Amino acid sequence: MNSIQRLQCLMAGEMADRRMFTMPLSQYGAALTGCSLEEHYNDPAAYARGQTAVRETFAPDILFGPLIVAAIGEAFGSKARYFDKGPPVVSTPAIEVASEWNGLPFPDPDRHPRLSYLREALRRVVAEHGREVPVAVLLVAPIDIPGLVMGLDAWLETLLFDRPAAEAIMRRVTPFAAELANRCFADGAAFVVWTIGFASPGFVTREILQEFSRPVLVDTLARVHGPVVLHHLEFPLVANLDVLSGLPSVAGFVLAQGDNLKRARRLLGADSILLSGPASPWMRRAAAADVEAVCRKTLENRRDDPRFILASCKGDMYIDTPPANIHAFRKSVEEFAGDRR
Amino acid sequence: MTPGEHPDGELSDLNIRRALVAAISRADRERAGQLLDHWAARHGYAAAYKDLLEPALKRIGRGINSERFSLAQAYVAAKVAEDMLTKSAGLLAQNSEPKTVKGPVVLGNAEEDFHALGRRMVATMLRSSGWVVCDLGNDVPAAEFVDKAIEIGARVIGVSAMTMTTALNIKEIRRELDARGLSGRIQLAVGGAVFLVAEGLCDEVGGDGTAPDMLEAPHLFAELWARGERGEDAR
Repeated sequence: MNSIQRLQCLMAGEMADRRMFTMPLSQYGAALTGCSLEEHYNDPAAYARGQTAVRETFAPDILFGPLIVAAIGEAFGSKARYFDKGPPVVSTPAIEVASEWNGLPFPDPDRHPRLSYLREALRRVVAEHGREVPVAVLLVAPIDIPGLVMGLDAWLETLLFDRPAAEAIMRRVTPFAAELANRCFADGAAFVVWTIGFASPGFVTREILQEFSRPVLVDTLARVHGPVVLHHLEFPLVANLDVLSGLPSVAGFVLAQGDNLKRARRLLGADSILLSGPASPWMRRAAAADVEAVCRKTLENRRDDPRFILASCKGDMYIDTPPANIHAFRKSVEEFAGDRR
Repeated sequence: MTPGEHPDGELSDLNIRRALVAAISRADRERAGQLLDHWAARHGYAAAYKDLLEPALKRIGRGINSERFSLAQAYVAAKVAEDMLTKSAGLLAQNSEPKTVKGPVVLGNAEEDFHALGRRMVATMLRSSGWVVCDLGNDVPAAEFVDKAIEIGARVIGVSAMTMTTALNIKEIRRELDARGLSGRIQLAVGGAVFLVAEGLCDEVGGDGTAPDMLEAPHLFAELWARGERGEDAR
């Protein structure tokens, strides 16, 4: 059984030969191929070689396009800093206050160099592996885009104290977010992952979630022509899943290491895909035996749940994560399948 | 009527305390400001901070309804504290009263870290608690932290980092302190989102202490300042 067939089983609510498992091993591909991160985040061919090395070394059931959310900020004019050991971050936002959105040119997903890099890298990974392994791309939901364009402080300030301005920003950002996701589907993405920091209890109040974030997500997701998986980003998400259930186009959720998966399943119903497992910062420092134990416990928790995928959470795997920890992750899935037979 | 308010609109001290917690919890900065003004009219702004806002922030910091305190609520709490600071500073200037200050302390984001929000909120909380804060901003090299601490006589350096990669850059600050023979006399406070998920990271990067959120920062800095005065290297 290949990974596409496992995904088909999962979608049909049937048990496959073993659990699907995945980790975003985006920059880890550069570590495996000995590529500098500068080249990795600029050359689509170098990126695709990294994902080939990831598949050959760890064989995850889902591969990823570049995890480079700063590129979306760059596309709007923000400046990013690139590092030797980690992903780039926005260092200088394009604008400082809400009123500057009015004159801000929006990037063309087909022409902007940073978005072109992201999409070409995705296309190359899909071309090489997409027949056997689903390829996902991680983008940000419209509610998280302003943080990359005006900075987190200014976006929070606007959202909290000038709601009409925040809503006006969303009216401009929503079509862009949907369009970028749709172009990625056209490029072959099996699904799009959206971070939803501004819908998580660690970021916003219930009032903001219900009155602002959810309506924006409903509006945007209704324009998206493919399955979207919503990602917790930083904090546990389960406390808000009652409000986030039933969104259009949403196939599932990536939940945090501390999230209560039984409660999540109750809130979302049987059809939603759940992805969860150890957090990437924790995996960087843990012993392989501990990784295996946590994975095993998570798999045990979801033993009879056909729509669960063991997945690392929080973000891209750090490049100095011991390979033994990633192998332990995979081993837990294989041994769990053996136990079930 | 909001939770904590009396049906007839009169607000007792107890009800003001409850109403303030409720206002900050629903991120209502304006209402929180009104309540603090109401209290200050009876007891003064110094008491409004010490007897009303500080206990409210502590209670909020312990978690509302057993759910995590959100970034939006923390941001509003910092803004409310900042508003209080502005008002009380204005009154102190008018009265020409001597102001009790603590510190100075140095604050900044670790080298290669550009996540300013948490650091700015910690700076606000410290200032509103009476600390003199020298905020060096984002992406601060290790030597600059230590140079500035020596220059201004700071006994605490506070470093914020969002990711594991940038948190590990804090080790350089510890190396600088060790190399200059300043460990113990200058204490290293560390914090940021990654410290909440990576157990033991504070020790790994050479931190003398950490706090789970910005509301706890003034307490942490007071504790570390006292240790710094004793020259205590507790690592």
